[in-house]
Amino acid sequence: MNTDISQTITRIAEIIINELKLEDVTPETFDADLDLIDEVGVDSMDLATIALVLRDEYGIRIDEDDYPKLTTIRIIAEYIDNKLKSDD
Amino acid sequence: MDQGATNRVYKFSEIIADPAIGACWQKVRKYFFLRESTYDMSNRCNIRCEGCYYFNGEKQFAKENLNVSDWKHLMEGEKERGITFVVLAGAEPSLVPQLCQTCYDVIPLGCIASNGLNVLPREIDYRIHISVWGNDQTSLEIRKAKDMLARQMVNYQDDPRAVWVYTFTPVNIDQAREVTELLAANGQQITFNMFSSPVGYSGHLRHTPETLAHTRATMSELLAEFPQTVLFSPYNIVAHTHTRGLHDLFSCSYPRMNPSTAIGLGRSFRQYRTDLQWDRAAACCVPDTDCDDCRHYAAGSAVVTARMYRHATDPTTFSAWLDYVDTYLAVWVRGYEKSAPLCKQLIEPPDLVES
Ligand code: SF4
Repeated sequence: MNTDISQTITRIAEIIINELKLEDVTPETFDADLDLIDEVGVDSMDLATIALVLRDEYGIRIDEDDYPKLTTIRIIAEYIDNKLKSDD
Repeated sequence: MDQGATNRVYKFSEIIADPAIGACWQKVRKYFFLRESTYDMSNRCNIRCEGCYYFNGEKQFAKENLNVSDWKHLMEGEKERGITFVVLAGAEPSLVPQLCQTCYDVIPLGCIASNGLNVLPREIDYRIHISVWGNDQTSLEIRKAKDMLARQMVNYQDDPRAVWVYTFTPVNIDQAREVTELLAANGQQITFNMFSSPVGYSGHLRHTPETLAHTRATMSELLAEFPQTVLFSPYNIVAHTHTRGLHDLFSCSYPRMNPSTAIGLGRSFRQYRTDLQWDRAAACCVPDTDCDDCRHYAAGSAVVTARMYRHATDPTTFSAWLDYVDTYLAVWVRGYEKSAPLCKQLIEPPDLVES
């Protein structure tokens, strides 16, 4: 399982681009500090979908109460990283 | 598809790999862009019903604003902040059709809650929810209106905007059959609502465990017998007739019960009063309802729908959630066609606290 944060960031960007059908951005050019809600337009149902794909990919559970905190790709990557470490 | 038959952990990709589940998932997710807010349109009504949600609490005393340009300005602002679906309610929106038209001209997806005694112009192509609280004898008693259903049916004959919303109270459960049969014979559609007590109400319309069970059995019979007429699903029945209310089961995400303004309803939902003001502390689709007793159909449409993640545990539970969302869209969005339920069993909602 990949725990390297920069790879996680790229993978999350890929998932978001894929699920939200975003154009004009690639996993490499996606700014990991962009506010997903204010600047990308992600809503709660989008986030729930992304959370399910991440659950499949990393085998971690993302609590519904944590959604409000998951505002950037970097924060999501750190969240995943912490979950994986605490599962070790 | 047996919920809990095994403790197997499913991947989401495995769940949606099932062709029927995958098709329904793709069908409903196209509507994830819907972001609702609700608006009281007028502080007047042409009838006065016992237990009416509007004539409880402070909102009924808000000044009425009939200025079309103020409403246009409000709607443009709503559109600007991302609202894509409006619910026009209290007290009786058909008394102010010009305001409904103004809303429709700016935000073309929405729904109007009406008692159905006035016909709304066809140009306002929103879904129209027509309230029914029992047969005409009961309506006469509690709504003081004669031949209510008969008049509603004539007014909205062959009108694809219309869906009747039958509110189950402890005293009208057995009348739902008569109403459903009449609507079915007339090619019209019905969905179900539950009387949910206003704050402080302890009168005879409050449901008890016995009346919830009786309602559950009645809804199940009607759904099985009139699948083309009844817009509901087995999971709707579970969610709305459970002894635990919607908030207890699903943790309500409306601002009134949700301090977070970061995302979802807590961020975008507003409930405007007739003076075009809103108050976050009171903001939900049914302000002044007792959250502990809330089983309201409008509440469930947002509260259950928002809880996708916790339902994505196994094919059966996710199917039940998809049925609920499919029903919600059929009831609220013009032109959306409901599919047959994927999950025909009455399954328990997933636990609030995930393991
Ligand atoms: S009344 Fe219902 S919808 Fe409103 S805040 Fe309470 S639980 Fe939520």
